[in-house]
Amino acid sequence: MDLHLDAPHSMGTTIIGVTYNGGVVLGADSRTSTGVYVANRASDKITELTDNVYLCRSGSAADSQIVSDYVRYFLHQHIIQLGQPATVKVAANLVRLLSYNNKNMLQAGLIVGGWDKYEGGKIYSVPLGGTILEQPFTLGGSGSSYLYGFFDQAWREGMSKDEAEELVVKAVSLAIARDGASGGVVRTVTINSEGVSRKFHSGDSLPLWHEELEPQNSLLDTLMPEDSQ
Amino acid sequence: MTKAAIHVPPKGGFSFDLCRRNEMLAQNGLKPPCSFKKTGTTIVGLIFQDGVILGADTRATEGPIVADKNCEKIHYMAPNIYCCGAGTAADTEAVTDMVSSQLQLHRYHTGRESRVVTALSLLKSHLFNYQGHVSAALVLGGVDVTGPHLHTIYPHGSTDTLPFATMGSGSLAAMAVFESKYKEGLTRDEGIQLVSEAICSGIFNDLGSGSNVDVCVITKGHKEYLRNHQQPNPRTYVSSKGYSFVKGHTEVLTTKITPLKEKVEVIEGGDAMEE
Amino acid sequence: MASKQHANWSPYDNNGGTCVAIAGADYCVIAADTRMSSGYNILTRDYSKICKLADKCLLASSGFQADVRALQKVLTARHLIYQHQHNKQMSCPAMGQLLSNTLYYKRFFPYYAFNVLGGLDEKGQGCVFTYDAVGSYERVVYSTQGSGSTLIMPVLDNKLKAPSPLILPAKDAVTPLIESEAVDLVKDVFASAVERDIYTGDRLEIVVVKPDGIRREFIELRKD
Repeated sequence: MDLHLDAPHSMGTTIIGVTYNGGVVLGADSRTSTGVYVANRASDKITELTDNVYLCRSGSAADSQIVSDYVRYFLHQHIIQLGQPATVKVAANLVRLLSYNNKNMLQAGLIVGGWDKYEGGKIYSVPLGGTILEQPFTLGGSGSSYLYGFFDQAWREGMSKDEAEELVVKAVSLAIARDGASGGVVRTVTINSEGVSRKFHSGDSLPLWHEELEPQNSLLDTLMPEDSQ
Repeated sequence: MTKAAIHVPPKGGFSFDLCRRNEMLAQNGLKPPCSFKKTGTTIVGLIFQDGVILGADTRATEGPIVADKNCEKIHYMAPNIYCCGAGTAADTEAVTDMVSSQLQLHRYHTGRESRVVTALSLLKSHLFNYQGHVSAALVLGGVDVTGPHLHTIYPHGSTDTLPFATMGSGSLAAMAVFESKYKEGLTRDEGIQLVSEAICSGIFNDLGSGSNVDVCVITKGHKEYLRNHQQPNPRTYVSSKGYSFVKGHTEVLTTKITPLKEKVEVIEGGDAMEE
Repeated sequence: MASKQHANWSPYDNNGGTCVAIAGADYCVIAADTRMSSGYNILTRDYSKICKLADKCLLASSGFQADVRALQKVLTARHLIYQHQHNKQMSCPAMGQLLSNTLYYKRFFPYYAFNVLGGLDEKGQGCVFTYDAVGSYERVVYSTQGSGSTLIMPVLDNKLKAPSPLILPAKDAVTPLIESEAVDLVKDVFASAVERDIYTGDRLEIVVVKPDGIRREFIELRKD
């Protein structure tokens, strides 16, 4: 069996950014794989750039981490020089700049989301070549192809925070159910005028979709019950 | 995908033209002139109630041959940070040594204990610069002022932060043990036991890993390097008689003795030069 | 234009393992480890590489297990036919020639098998035949084949060969060792090879063929 364990680390991923009435919700699964091996089943693909701007990463883990590290560095410098929080637009344009200028060396699809006092909640998608798109909602990663139809049907203008969060969790869980390269838990980050709140939805708390099985006790638990261990 | 169709020369970073040439030559059947130790390895780490435990096997291989039966794969980074290395032995050795010296200089400069994230950033930026050509897969662990930390670093420069981690060719065997038995808040003895079990799983089930178990326990302000903590593979048979190697297997055809001749005449006494 | 498509899979695998055989005056020792592996994985720790073809003729083979099994099956079948036709078992030198022919029959799609044939000849003297994958063979006094052969051969040369190839006569028909010494040597060379060859290990199977029958014994080897 060829496991391709020396293949570069990549995040076959589902990442989502959604605007709602007052802010944005970012969502992601937590699977990182090398070939068919799940190298990390609890990774955090929603990275903090500044207090009010976050980034969803997909593609090569190394490339997206380096891009986010540089953007975080530039933004913090920018914040000090400006004496006030950075806008989502500036953050997104820094991401775009790095993605565009180094397009021949990078494999990273990124979603920038955040809140600022000028424009409120904003989502920017920066796919592979360094395109930048401001969108009301955006999908990324290998799992996104399973979700476009669902979002066309389910997304509405002016949702409440709870509705948006629910939508994101539902969407990521749907993608996890169908996309082999997505899995694990669902992480969400909600950003609005009040600040940031992170939420964690464990794998066994997600809804069961078509033909999904109930969680089973492992054979190890059956053979060695908790008390006898 | 149109991306691959156009080759844009890179503006920054290193040139990997020679690496691409070597790959092309290898594909056309050229054998590289030298082999190097690509250590099939099992390395692991976990976080327990008061720190971090790292573990490694001690086999180094060159293809199918065991090059070193008892090598050290847990490298020193700082007094409170250690790092397990898998991949090409020369790369893991070089990269850990280099970063460890940078950390030492940083400590002289700041007068403070090194942090694990500092080591992590230095390692990942080096590996990312070399775009995976420096094949070092690392498990980095340590305890600093912000508490215990465990990270994995891949050759391409990506990093993960986990409560338990495995790397190397035996990583699947070791991860199977961790996934079934790891829990939060292990005691020191339970931690060492679990790490040893994970390494043994690699030693016995992965041909690239073998020999002994090395363990390193790092707690706040204290560390313990348990070299050869377990030795589960003793030699199974020793000849009762031992060996005597008889002389004469290489036949002497001719013998010629050239006596050593003095070429320089040594003149006694200090005055000889002044004449 | 894709003029020629090549299969991107290989019909061969290497399952590793090491075989040794030593011929004595009235015995023959045939030994092999019992590890079967593929890549960095151990498939089983208990697979016998030694096949009994006749009462006084055993075949030890390493290489690709599927080819080895196919080869053993052909030889067993041909030997059965021989017994029906001649009402006796094949001699070891005859089996040696048959094995060579069988291997060469597949010259351009070889059996990926590295064989050592050991047993007693018509005179009751130990005999060993050693092969390459396509049937080139030679009667020798001792031999080793497989993944650990490069580690074992020099030791056997040192212990069993005449002091120098330049001193004639170059070789005897059998080794000067007595049976217990030969078995001790085999155990020791395997215990040594296992230290350095990753594809050899787990257990050593030793078969001693003598005029009055066959004795089989096992010792443990390193399991890492």
